Amino acid sequence: MTTLSDRIALFADGLQAAQGELVQCSSWDDVWEHAVALSDETPVVSPAAYEQLQRGELPDDTDPLRSIADRSVGVTVATLAVAETGSVLLIEPTPRDRAISLLTRHLIVAVSAADIVEDLAEGFRWLAQQPRAAAYATFVTGPSRTADIERSLTIGVQGPSRMTVAVLA
Amino acid sequence: MSASTAPFKTRYRRSLSDPDLQPRLLDFQRSWRESRDAQVQRLEQRTEQSFNELRRDFAAVKDSTLERLADYIAEFRANAEDAGATVVELSTAAEAVDYIAVVCQSRGIDLVVKSKSMVSEEIELNHELEQRGITAIETDLGEWLLQLAEERPSHLVMPAIHQKRQYVAEILGEELGRKFDPDDIPEMVASARDGLRRHYLSAGAGLTGANALIAETGSIMVVTNEGNMRLATSLPDVHFVTAGIEKLIPSWTDAERQLQLLPRSATAQTLSTYTTCITGAQPGKEMHIILLDNGRRAMRETATIGDALRCIRCGACANVCPPYQIVGGHTFGHIYTGAIGLVNTTFHHGVEEAAGPQGLCVSCGACQTVCPVDIPLPKQILEVRHRAHEEGDAPLWERVALRLWARPRLFHHLMGLAAAGSGLARLVGLVRRDHLRLPLPKRLRWRSVPALPLRSGQTLVNGRPPQRPLSNSPSTGQSVDLFAQCLADRLLPTAVDSAARLIEAGGSSVNVPQSQHCCGLPAFDAGDWETARRMAKHTIEALEGSERQIVTPAPSCVISMQDHWPRLFDDDPEWRDRAAAVSERVYDLADWLDGPGRLPDGCLSKGSSKAWTAHRFCQASNRNDADTRIDHLVERLTGETARPLEEPDVCCGFGGLTSLAAPEVGAGILERKLACVAESGCDTLITNNPGCVIHLRAGANASGAHHETLHYADFLAARLPKNP
Repeated sequence: MTTLSDRIALFADGLQAAQGELVQCSSWDDVWEHAVALSDETPVVSPAAYEQLQRGELPDDTDPLRSIADRSVGVTVATLAVAETGSVLLIEPTPRDRAISLLTRHLIVAVSAADIVEDLAEGFRWLAQQPRAAAYATFVTGPSRTADIERSLTIGVQGPSRMTVAVLA
Repeated sequence: MSASTAPFKTRYRRSLSDPDLQPRLLDFQRSWRESRDAQVQRLEQRTEQSFNELRRDFAAVKDSTLERLADYIAEFRANAEDAGATVVELSTAAEAVDYIAVVCQSRGIDLVVKSKSMVSEEIELNHELEQRGITAIETDLGEWLLQLAEERPSHLVMPAIHQKRQYVAEILGEELGRKFDPDDIPEMVASARDGLRRHYLSAGAGLTGANALIAETGSIMVVTNEGNMRLATSLPDVHFVTAGIEKLIPSWTDAERQLQLLPRSATAQTLSTYTTCITGAQPGKEMHIILLDNGRRAMRETATIGDALRCIRCGACANVCPPYQIVGGHTFGHIYTGAIGLVNTTFHHGVEEAAGPQGLCVSCGACQTVCPVDIPLPKQILEVRHRAHEEGDAPLWERVALRLWARPRLFHHLMGLAAAGSGLARLVGLVRRDHLRLPLPKRLRWRSVPALPLRSGQTLVNGRPPQRPLSNSPSTGQSVDLFAQCLADRLLPTAVDSAARLIEAGGSSVNVPQSQHCCGLPAFDAGDWETARRMAKHTIEALEGSERQIVTPAPSCVISMQDHWPRLFDDDPEWRDRAAAVSERVYDLADWLDGPGRLPDGCLSKGSSKAWTAHRFCQASNRNDADTRIDHLVERLTGETARPLEEPDVCCGFGGLTSLAAPEVGAGILERKLACVAESGCDTLITNNPGCVIHLRAGANASGAHHETLHYADFLAARLPKNP
């Protein structure tokens, strides 16, 4: 079993290889300040992030996706992160849960350092035991990308073009 | 008719007429190989298991699932339906299209947004829905570009890899009504994003494929990079999943094992950007999961082919395929491309659609070495080629040539005539550097025609006194049978003689069995197993009835005897046993010189050193996990180190009949090889299969390259002490 700092370092490597960024935060306030500093407008937040932050703009109840389309900065919360691959696991059963990670330009994902598991196998074991969580679960590894035009890697296609993982420790 | 749906011959010509295609695919194959190898190496280190162990473990999961497929489908169905999905099992493409169309029509849906799904390509869904007034829009950027260009995918995971950015700028410009700078790819991508966004907002249904169907919970797993799949399943109210029944896996543990192999093999990523798992219909929405057969159960029940259902659609087989690099996926395949496309097209789209590209495969075996589920693709391609041949698909020249080849005496006389003709040509100055100066048609001008030496290899061996054993040679007293190989005997007789001298130098005496001819490989490769059987029987008769080991300078014949003969005589116990009794005695020369007839280290050291490098016969290397023995053997015996050669295991383009049937493919692969040889800066290229020597030499002669090409037996025997 690796130590926590090993896992954080490994996670940072994987995330960086996938063009994601990492910031270490000491509190939810810290996460919020980080988000605010990135944008002129109020950051939008997922319902799960709102529970922790108690601030930010939530997606609309009736038409959550249209209300978020292309907002500049959004914050959501990951259930766990995977050191091996630099991924975060988002459990998002409804479109409203998903709106932030789908449509904001710069996605900030907060995850507690204690929730960084060693490898994907561990992530899958966790998921397999949570049938309700598996209704709509995504391992996200970096911002969206394509190489469909002459194999030229372009970051930011249909999902976020920047992704920062805020590791809370 | 678009470039990808024309008849095979038209597609072949068109792909050759695109001057950018080959360099672009070469660059792609090389960079993929480098990053994929690095990924696999890291995986091996982390798991402390070899790639072979990892892939065979997962292949075993796929196999055992397929064994009990009906049970796993039932389990999947029960769990998915429990979670609110509708699961339908359908037999044909038409049924799948009907199902989707009926659901759409009954809900008043006239727009479907699609995430990438090869099954939807397989059933040509977009076209079929359009006939019924339903528009389907591809949202994966590559697939959308294909849709705008009315093309089929040319690669399983990089569907638009054949399109140039200038062309992309043109079709995107037309669709979006503006002009694009072809060099500004980010701008094109950004505009495509905006162009696609409106479709998500107005679509009534989203359609996705599935990389895996997880039986224990009824979940689907989908791997993507762009984020379009999540949008297509979040905005519309209906979610269709189209998946082949072979995508079933038992558990989440198995899903994770698949992920160890899939992104690394597909795009050389540790993990793709999005790995999405969905279980059941979302609140207030519908989910329809279509499990398609469309020839899969028939595939499963077909001998040799069944394992192709392990396929996880990573596309790795195309990424290492030399002919794919020359012609691209629109020619090398039908809707499924690459090696797997040569196998499964027969079952999904019929023998006719599968037949055209069959002759392009050079049988190098590279595909299986990187396949993450260890599908025996080379073996399967030969099986499909055999079936195509049975349907009467072989061209006339090929049938005639094989008939002649199959008759030893006639072959012998024809070769004698050709040798006499070559001798005459030599006299009148039509031979330069051992090749005829003939006015060849343009498509054949990339290689010269070798002038045949007057004397055959067997004649050379029988017509000289034995080579004296080296003083410290080990195997004194043994006698071995030499199998010359028909091609080497006439076209490369010195290699046959050199092989005999090296064996003799090791202290064994050499016997040349009379009436030996051809093991049957050319006919087997061409799918003509009837002729191959006749040739094999002749060889068995010539070689049986002795206890001696058989040594040959041709590793292709060893593979033919050991791998192909059992298939030829599968239904014939008598000949199967007789074939086995012969093939058990066969040694490749290099194995002999390292094994029973081992020559001592440094025994051929001459002090002077040539700058040499080694091309390894691809089929043998790929069959034996990148076997480097000829480099090692020559280094061990001469004490000289080989110069490094890029891509030493990649085919030289000979590929048996391929270089005759599709000369442009042979030429293109040869060019890739000769460029690597030139890069190495060597003045001698050695290799281990006579076919490669002849091909590489003829190509070097035509291109004016300055290096010498030798069978390693000739390279080594030149260092033997002369008999007094």
